[in-house]
Amino acid sequence: MAHQRHYSDAPAVDFDSAPEMQPYLAQPDAMYVGCPGKHGYLNLGFEVNKEGRSILRELDRRAPLIVQQELYFDEELPDLPCVYILSSGGPNVDGDRYVQRFTMHRGSMAFISTGAATKLAEMRRNYSGMTQEFTLEADTYLEYMPEPVIPCRHTRFICDTRIVADPTATLFYSEIYMGGRKYYGTGETFAYDVLSVCSHAERPGGEQLFREKFIIDPARMPLRDIGMMGSYDVFANVIVLTPPDKAAAVYDSTEPFIDRDRHLAAGITHLPNGAGLLFKVLGLEPGPVKAVVRDFCSKVRLAVKHRPVPPEFPWR
Amino acid sequence: MNPVLPLLQFSDATFPVGTFSFSNGLETASYEGLVHDAATLEQYTRSAALQAAYSDGVAALVAYRAALAGDYSTILEADSALLRFKMNDEARLMLCRMGKKLAELGVHLWGDDTLMGRWLADIKTYATPGCYPVAQGIAFAAAGIGERELYASHQYGVANMVVSAALRCVRVSHYDTQRILYNLARDTDAHYERARTMTLDSMHAFVPEMDILASLHEKGKMRMFMN
Repeated sequence: MAHQRHYSDAPAVDFDSAPEMQPYLAQPDAMYVGCPGKHGYLNLGFEVNKEGRSILRELDRRAPLIVQQELYFDEELPDLPCVYILSSGGPNVDGDRYVQRFTMHRGSMAFISTGAATKLAEMRRNYSGMTQEFTLEADTYLEYMPEPVIPCRHTRFICDTRIVADPTATLFYSEIYMGGRKYYGTGETFAYDVLSVCSHAERPGGEQLFREKFIIDPARMPLRDIGMMGSYDVFANVIVLTPPDKAAAVYDSTEPFIDRDRHLAAGITHLPNGAGLLFKVLGLEPGPVKAVVRDFCSKVRLAVKHRPVPPEFPWR
Repeated sequence: MNPVLPLLQFSDATFPVGTFSFSNGLETASYEGLVHDAATLEQYTRSAALQAAYSDGVAALVAYRAALAGDYSTILEADSALLRFKMNDEARLMLCRMGKKLAELGVHLWGDDTLMGRWLADIKTYATPGCYPVAQGIAFAAAGIGERELYASHQYGVANMVVSAALRCVRVSHYDTQRILYNLARDTDAHYERARTMTLDSMHAFVPEMDILASLHEKGKMRMFMN
């Protein structure tokens, strides 16, 4: 029972000291910060069972985050456990706090996504914060490819992602941020207050690899300037941690481009300290950006697992 | 010595750290037709300055204060933190080449037996990457120049690098580039007021279109500039 209680203790999520959140520290008028139902917790652990199959061995969750069980629906990798993260609360709301932990035990593989786009609701007093931890042991493989994030008017969202990866492991980690509810009312593109996103990685021994942080504050930044978002509305950031030989194969097979007709652009470069690759995509609509990200994921899977990613389901 | 004099010297476009070799992605932006006149050049230069304002500028301030305090380990920390934050190959190459150049120059100005000498020795043995903003912090501290002036010089250097490159690859005049520099200078104090309270962990930047342009340059064949 003590073991069970340990799993159910959702760690604190506190970004109140972040300078970009200082204007947003008041208690929400409705349910208070981090109250039951607003402090989501997810702990997923994958490992290889006696038959040599990757399974979801550890599953602990606290509302509003929901994961049911792993499914094996990937036609190219039938032994790949696939998990969708759902949220019973709908969008992230004012004062929400989330913790997500993913552990890949030695030799395991998995695919994780979300059931639908993550909506970040309009916020008036506080902010929504999330911490994530990815731990990848030796020879593991994880594709983390959630649906896009849609920030609404006056959304404030902050996320810190810590990755601890063995040099032999591969992590495909993608995020897609839309400018907002583009077609809602008269349009809400870049009407949110702030998005603050930090991802940092290290080796199990503590060697720091990279730290990427971006803060998008549309009211204070000339986002439409050339060099920032320019004329694009959707932005995808993909981090790939993988051994150097795999990284070289993916880098060589990926061409950066600016496609004026489709209003789509993508670029690839190396992460610092030989950690892997960084891939960025800009577009006008989420569909084409998702397709480019998925195609890139297929290149990573081909380099590591020698199989492509199957075509996306038509309803996604 | 009047600190204005070394400030002028270190901020000069002809200061020999190799600035002229780099365009901060402008070469590709010009080739792609994104930057084609004074108005688009001003936007692009503002993006480059904003990108540096809360990353390179913060590392320069941290290194400067550490140099004044004789805190060498914080200088090393600023150096490695900035390299970990630089998300493309050519940006890292630019920072390290210019940083090493300034360190070599600094040894000629102040001698081997100084903080700069120790740092250069560590660069040569690959113990530290040698990022340019960190070199600026050490140099400005050694020359007795103020912190606000360091930050201003750093931001001016970023903008000046882009507009100087523009004279070679964008159809703009000297009048245009000087007006852009003058306009952007107005933002610098506001950036400093925010940057001076920041830590290495809070460095941030958001220039995805520049990142994609850098990637096109990295895998392309254009080589008037090294980035």
